[in-house]
Amino acid sequence: MTLSMCLYLGAALMCIGIYGVLTRKNAIGVLLSVEAMANSVNVNLVAMSRYFGGTTGQLFAIFVMTITVAEVAVGLALVILFYRALQHTTLDEATQLRH
Amino acid sequence: MSFASPIDLAALALFAPIGMALLLAAIPGLRRHGWPAAWLSVATALCTLIVSILLLLRVDVDSGPWVATTTWLRESGGTVASVGLRVDGISSTMLVIVALVATAVQVFSLGYMKQEPPSAVGRYFTYHSLFVFSMNLLVLAPNLLQFFAGWELVGLTSYLLIGFYYQKPSAGHAAVKAFWVTKFADMGLLVALLVLFATSYDFGFDVVLDPPTAIIVTLLMFLAVMGKSAQFPLHVWLPNAMEGPTPVSALLHAATMVAAGVYLLVRAFPLFQQAPVTLEFMLWVGSFTALFAAVVAVVQTDIKRVLAYSTCSQLGYMVAAVGAGSAFAGYFHLTTHAFFKALLFLAAGTVIHTVHSNELSKMGGLWRRMPITAVTFIVGALALVGIPGFSGFFSKDLILEAVAEKEQIGPLAFLVAGAFLTAFYMGRVVLLAFFGEQSPKAQHAHESGPSMTLPLLGLAVGAAVVGWFGTPLSGLLGQSYEFHWGTVGGIATLLGIAGLVLSYLVYGNHQLHPDRSVVLRQLAALARSGLVDQFYARLFHGAVIPLARIVGWVDRYLVDGVMNLTAWVALRASRRLQLVQTGNVLDYVFAVIAGVVLLAVWRIWA
Amino acid sequence: MLELVGFGIIASVATVAAVAVVLWRNLVHSVLWLAVLLLATAALFILLGASFLGGIQIMLYAGGVVTLMLFAIMLTRRRGGVGVENETAPQRRLPALLVSGTLFAAMAWAIHQTDGLPTEPQVPIQTSDLGFAFLSDHVLAFEVLSVLLLAATIGAIVIARRRDFGDAGPVRPMRAGRARIVRGRAR
Repeated sequence: MTLSMCLYLGAALMCIGIYGVLTRKNAIGVLLSVEAMANSVNVNLVAMSRYFGGTTGQLFAIFVMTITVAEVAVGLALVILFYRALQHTTLDEATQLRH
Repeated sequence: MSFASPIDLAALALFAPIGMALLLAAIPGLRRHGWPAAWLSVATALCTLIVSILLLLRVDVDSGPWVATTTWLRESGGTVASVGLRVDGISSTMLVIVALVATAVQVFSLGYMKQEPPSAVGRYFTYHSLFVFSMNLLVLAPNLLQFFAGWELVGLTSYLLIGFYYQKPSAGHAAVKAFWVTKFADMGLLVALLVLFATSYDFGFDVVLDPPTAIIVTLLMFLAVMGKSAQFPLHVWLPNAMEGPTPVSALLHAATMVAAGVYLLVRAFPLFQQAPVTLEFMLWVGSFTALFAAVVAVVQTDIKRVLAYSTCSQLGYMVAAVGAGSAFAGYFHLTTHAFFKALLFLAAGTVIHTVHSNELSKMGGLWRRMPITAVTFIVGALALVGIPGFSGFFSKDLILEAVAEKEQIGPLAFLVAGAFLTAFYMGRVVLLAFFGEQSPKAQHAHESGPSMTLPLLGLAVGAAVVGWFGTPLSGLLGQSYEFHWGTVGGIATLLGIAGLVLSYLVYGNHQLHPDRSVVLRQLAALARSGLVDQFYARLFHGAVIPLARIVGWVDRYLVDGVMNLTAWVALRASRRLQLVQTGNVLDYVFAVIAGVVLLAVWRIWA
Repeated sequence: MLELVGFGIIASVATVAAVAVVLWRNLVHSVLWLAVLLLATAALFILLGASFLGGIQIMLYAGGVVTLMLFAIMLTRRRGGVGVENETAPQRRLPALLVSGTLFAAMAWAIHQTDGLPTEPQVPIQTSDLGFAFLSDHVLAFEVLSVLLLAATIGAIVIARRRDFGDAGPVRPMRAGRARIVRGRAR
């Protein structure tokens, strides 16, 4: 098991996450994909920490986790607000920004 | 007096009038009440006069011209144009003439304009101060560029003052006509300046040019002179300019503004000397105008028109003099003419004021009722005719001699014939206005108050006496002139006397009747027909208006079209671009991520 | 050797789970697949010697975040009892595929080009080292992180609390663009 294998895995997960963000119509679906992306970042960080030594990688991964959790919380709060206003969570149907 | 240098005095003479004009322009209160503006303006004119006289006393041909300039337009290589003051014999004498006549006219106006509403009076005197400044700017100009500025300003003031009675449509038309004709002629001066600068990088009055350039430049300059000094065929504006108040006619259209053209010829004489072709042309144009205008003057019924055509004729004499090679003769006549013509106009003004009409037929026998006016008018008339002793005699004699030296029969004949006719029409005017039967309107005539008669007396003294100062005047210009009797002068004098006698026979004694002569009747009809004006009108409708239409089309469809096209393109493009704004937030997210990916890819691969 | 097999299993599970997260039609199932992905990642962390991290991954992510998502789903069901939609927009599939494909290609190429990537793992670090690092070198970040959590908590509450708009009722009505309940393609 080499570092590059882990990195490839991280890259693949990241791209799958991006595909999800771009494709999903449902707001919560988008947030799920964002979660997947953040997760892939953590994979990279921990792998780097293992192979280069030092605590930095894992430390950073903890930061990422914390921040991501906070972001998910706020994001879901926004989704709830959105739902209250429009009675659905399908982003494709929210075209109020159109002229 | 050593308290002020000549330059200081000249600067004062230049800036006092404009200071007053700006003051009057900036404070409407002064103008609205009229008379404060009037007194202030007269005071300024008087001040300018005193300063000019002091300046003249300081000037001496040996002490060289004083020039003070400051750079106006700068270029990396050096100065392109400068403005300033040039004080020498020519400018200092002209300054005195302008100031003297302007003061006389403004004092006269105090009486003449009494019945006008106060706001009009305020406006009038503001324009007068502006005019004095413009004239001084021109006179003191050290180079052609500043001269041109003064020239244009003088034209503007003329327009403002001709159209002073703006409620009268004829006055408005006259002002516009004057402006158009002179503006057309001024193109000549402008192009001449451009050519001069392009070839020699200098705006001076004495630049050395190669002959072809010299001919072009001087001919163009003479075009401007033809306009400003009313030479044929650009004389058509001057009779119409009589719509303005008579003091204005006296100042601008007799003594000073129209003389600015001759002043240019004298000032730039070194340039003209390099182009004998132009001088020849000037000689012919000037002498023809002198005769032509005199002929037309004979048959005029409006006293101001007679004097207008007379001015035109006398300017022709001045132009011919310069064309004959004697700048001094032209300048001398300018000086004497300023006095007697202004005098004649102002005297005519008092007559018009009391009789309430310009027509000669409404006047008659006025010498009993207006003796001072009559005497001064006669003095002016004698000076104009060139009776020995009076000022006009000396200057006219000098001109004739200069032309005779050139041995050109045509111009000489014109000028001599003109002298005869001058005497004739002036005799006619004097007899019709001041002698003979009184018309009903003339019954109410009376002599005017001192504000109007004093200037008349002052100018009459000048008209009588200035001619004797020919020698010192020539000294100031660096020439030597001594009066002596010559053949031509003698013949002209005799013809002048003959003309007076003839006029007496026709209009005084009624021994001869002009209506009996077929030739004279035809001539009168021709003179009154205004052929030249008709020619201009046809030219205007035929050429200028179609050209204006074309230009207007280009402006609307091409110039504006480009603008409209730009706007249309912008609108269409913005509509297309608007489609990007789908309002769907997921599309926007897509855009952001696509952008980031692109950046990342670029970063990785580049 | 064993490591490699383990890694292979974890990697495949993770990949499949990720794909399922983004493609599964049922939203709740999607969330569950996310849980699988997070657990696989936790396993990977433990394999890589970061046991502490693996632990928090399970607790925070697989436990907390997934639960949050499920709550949110339950609170935002469409009125009218229609099942939660979770399709992917057809018109964006191809461009999205292109974008992510490009990115993967670029990153893979970058990884491939990089020399000197170590192939042997270092000594795994102790959790106590991690703790020390937190409270000595990176204490500022630690503190800021706490503030961040506080801000997020307060923020989430403020954003999502119910507000009473008087006559208009507890929910502020929208003016334009009323939601159109349609099946199938969104307009």
